[in-house]
Amino acid sequence: MSWINAFRIRLNTLAIVLIPVCVAINWGGHTIASTLKLPLFLDSIGTVLGGLLAGPWVGALSGLISNLISSGTVDPIAAPYSLVSVLIGFAAGIAGYLSWQRQRWGWLALYLLVFLVASVASTPLNLALFQGQTGVPFGDAVFAALVKAGLPTWLAAYCGEAVVDLPDKLVTVGVALLVYQGLPNRFRSLFALYRRPQPA
Amino acid sequence: MARGLSLYAEGESPLHRAHPLTKGVLTLSAIALAFALPSIGWVAGLLAALLALAVVAGVLRRLLAVAVVVLLPITVLLLVVQGLVNPANRTVAIAIGPVALYEEGLAIAALSALRIACLVVATFLLSFTTRPADLAEALVQRGLSPRIGYVIQSALQIIPQTLEAAVRIQDAQRARGLETEGGLPRRARAYLPLLLPLVLSSLVATQERAMALEVRGFGRQVRRISRRVFRDSLAQRLLRWALALSVPAVVGLRLAGWR
Repeated sequence: MSWINAFRIRLNTLAIVLIPVCVAINWGGHTIASTLKLPLFLDSIGTVLGGLLAGPWVGALSGLISNLISSGTVDPIAAPYSLVSVLIGFAAGIAGYLSWQRQRWGWLALYLLVFLVASVASTPLNLALFQGQTGVPFGDAVFAALVKAGLPTWLAAYCGEAVVDLPDKLVTVGVALLVYQGLPNRFRSLFALYRRPQPA
Repeated sequence: MARGLSLYAEGESPLHRAHPLTKGVLTLSAIALAFALPSIGWVAGLLAALLALAVVAGVLRRLLAVAVVVLLPITVLLLVVQGLVNPANRTVAIAIGPVALYEEGLAIAALSALRIACLVVATFLLSFTTRPADLAEALVQRGLSPRIGYVIQSALQIIPQTLEAAVRIQDAQRARGLETEGGLPRRARAYLPLLLPLVLSSLVATQERAMALEVRGFGRQVRRISRRVFRDSLAQRLLRWALALSVPAVVGLRLAGWR
């Protein structure tokens, strides 16, 4: 259970300063996606990147604050979904602590983990708020077709959410990993204390 | 976007003057009540009360303008999908050719849409009458870590700067021949050249900012004294308790069989 230790590291000033930057990256990623009229949210790139660099608390706080600011300014429905963002931040933070970003299988594992966390955590919220719908026309079309076909509502709700998250989280995690690889070593090593100590 | 992110509208209404925490508790308990109250009538009453508060605050028109943008698509989707396929559907309400919308699904969709409307209006009521900086400061005075207070305020400042930088980068990349319009594959290819410079430049600035904060004693564990003083009163304190306690009261009634 060594990954629990990822939660024990106290945040230093650099990690605190990284949080608002990750919030802004979330915001920028989403804004560019809407400017280009891409059919994806891409609003958690900063959350994943923050988690990879500086552990679960930075990831979770970046996600939480992104959703709270977004709900206070453009879309109040984002507030309940801050739970999902927090969990995505935790997932990326644990992966970063275990240095998954160094291995190819780790990239795939990170994508699957973030996808599962996001889709599983969103489904109960969708059920409580929207009777299982996602609020995205494509996801709702899948939901409607599956309910019509006789599937239980919760399962149709999960599938509706999953078809939205599957491509969205692929691009989100992919871009976050690309950025991580592109960062200068000098910068990455500033956050070395948020990695699991390697056996020498 | 130079104006910043906040929706705050200057005003002198009782809502504007109320303690930020009072408005925060009002918003949270209104949202909880919207999902705890049992029927369309009650939830519509709650929505009417929230809109009345928006009238008192003098922000009704601006609030409706932003709320409708959020609510309209979601309401249409709910009515169509639930009207078509909700498992409870029995009675045809509207039939257009082979397609039928059912009463039961439409009623369920209407209740959900009203609850979401309460959530949206209650949140925007807070946004329109409270400066985000005041809300963060009031929370820090009541025990929120000042480091988290800094993070919230700093994010509110950095986001508009980042969006301005995004526009500059878009112009620069277009000048170099990047295509940002056309089919989906072409637009998708433009995503990385627009995002990467933005992300890298904002990350690299963090080290400098951390050092600037560090030399000003940011990391020190000392008691902070705030310059801002928010006026509180016994009436507001009682109101906050009443609002907060109304939620478990309604949940209790529901559990006792209120429908």
